[in-house]
Amino acid sequence: MSVGFQAVQWNRAKLVYDAILLAAVAIFIGGFMVIAWQLHPPKNMADAIDIRIRAFGSCAFVMLTVILAIGPLARLDHRFLPLLYNRRHFGVLTFVIASLHVYSMLEWYAVQGNLPNLLVELTTWADYGKFIGFPFKVLGILALLVLFLMAATSHDFWLGLLTPRVWKVLHMALYVAYGLVVMHVALGIMQYERTLLIPAMLIGGFASVAALHLVAGHRERAQDRGAASARDGWIGVGAPESIPDKGARIVTAPGGERIAVFRDGAQIGALTNLCAHQNGPIGEGRIIDGCVTCPWHGYQYRLADGCAPPPFTEKLATYPVRLRDGVVEVHPVALPPGTPAAITCARD
Amino acid sequence: VVHRALWPALAVAVGLGLTLALILRPPPPAAPQVAADQPEAAEGAR
Repeated sequence: MSVGFQAVQWNRAKLVYDAILLAAVAIFIGGFMVIAWQLHPPKNMADAIDIRIRAFGSCAFVMLTVILAIGPLARLDHRFLPLLYNRRHFGVLTFVIASLHVYSMLEWYAVQGNLPNLLVELTTWADYGKFIGFPFKVLGILALLVLFLMAATSHDFWLGLLTPRVWKVLHMALYVAYGLVVMHVALGIMQYERTLLIPAMLIGGFASVAALHLVAGHRERAQDRGAASARDGWIGVGAPESIPDKGARIVTAPGGERIAVFRDGAQIGALTNLCAHQNGPIGEGRIIDGCVTCPWHGYQYRLADGCAPPPFTEKLATYPVRLRDGVVEVHPVALPPGTPAAITCARD
Repeated sequence: VVHRALWPALAVAVGLGLTLALILRPPPPAAPQVAADQPEAAEGAR
């Protein structure tokens, strides 16, 4: 959290996450190269490097697709929440893999003594007016620049400097990078490689990301419309048991702000749905070690008053909660951050 | 408003671009058949 500067704040969950991530990437790239080597044994050094280019490129595409799918997946099914936890490292690793793809491509030109041809390819201005024949490598370079920007500003230093709002807007550029990558592949290798695998990968990946965002957005809009069920200025959440234990239900205030109503056994409390760290959706998090834990980076807050446990200093706005006729209700006017507001329900 | 309009527009643009790139793909080169036919044609001309 915010006490002192640390390059990377490790904990066991992050180490496990990173270990699984690295293993999956190694298996993908290793498997790809072994299969490609068997199917099309390289005749020379350039062919061997070409296999590496494809392995890193397809791995980066799959990783980018997964990163963009994690957000809506976690909203649709809480079992995907663990994937959100350390998504920042996922993004940085994607940049590393994409860089290795570019490095291998440069090496491919270099071993054939063709590096000047790359420059010619990128500076044949007439080709920029074409659709088929567009210098697709430029799209890849632009995507890599965006990924670099994301990776370079992924540290909390930049988050603090830019403010969570600006930082979040900046990191939405990942969608632009994905669009550039899709077109880089579509106008590149898909044009001269007749296998069905490439269109299938592109269409499958792009359609999955688009569909998941549409479905998650539709569900959130339906949830937002639920604000109409407010009565006497209070919003009905449901029976205490309808709130998952150690989890939350998110309700929307008439003004549009989302409120996360958490239950920890018999204790029920409501917090703003925006984490103080990166405005992450705290209502999609869980209660771990007695604290509400943001799914994005594990920032923690006490349910009772929205304060981070000492020595940390972050505070979230809380909301008044009451139990009426067996229904938990929340008042949509936020209390000052750090105000105790949780209640305890009598259990049968 | 910008946020809500920008991402669907980007998705439509990429979807359209991908579809066009797929439709406009050049046909695969019919190389071996032509190469095999060439000596025969040369023989006929002779």
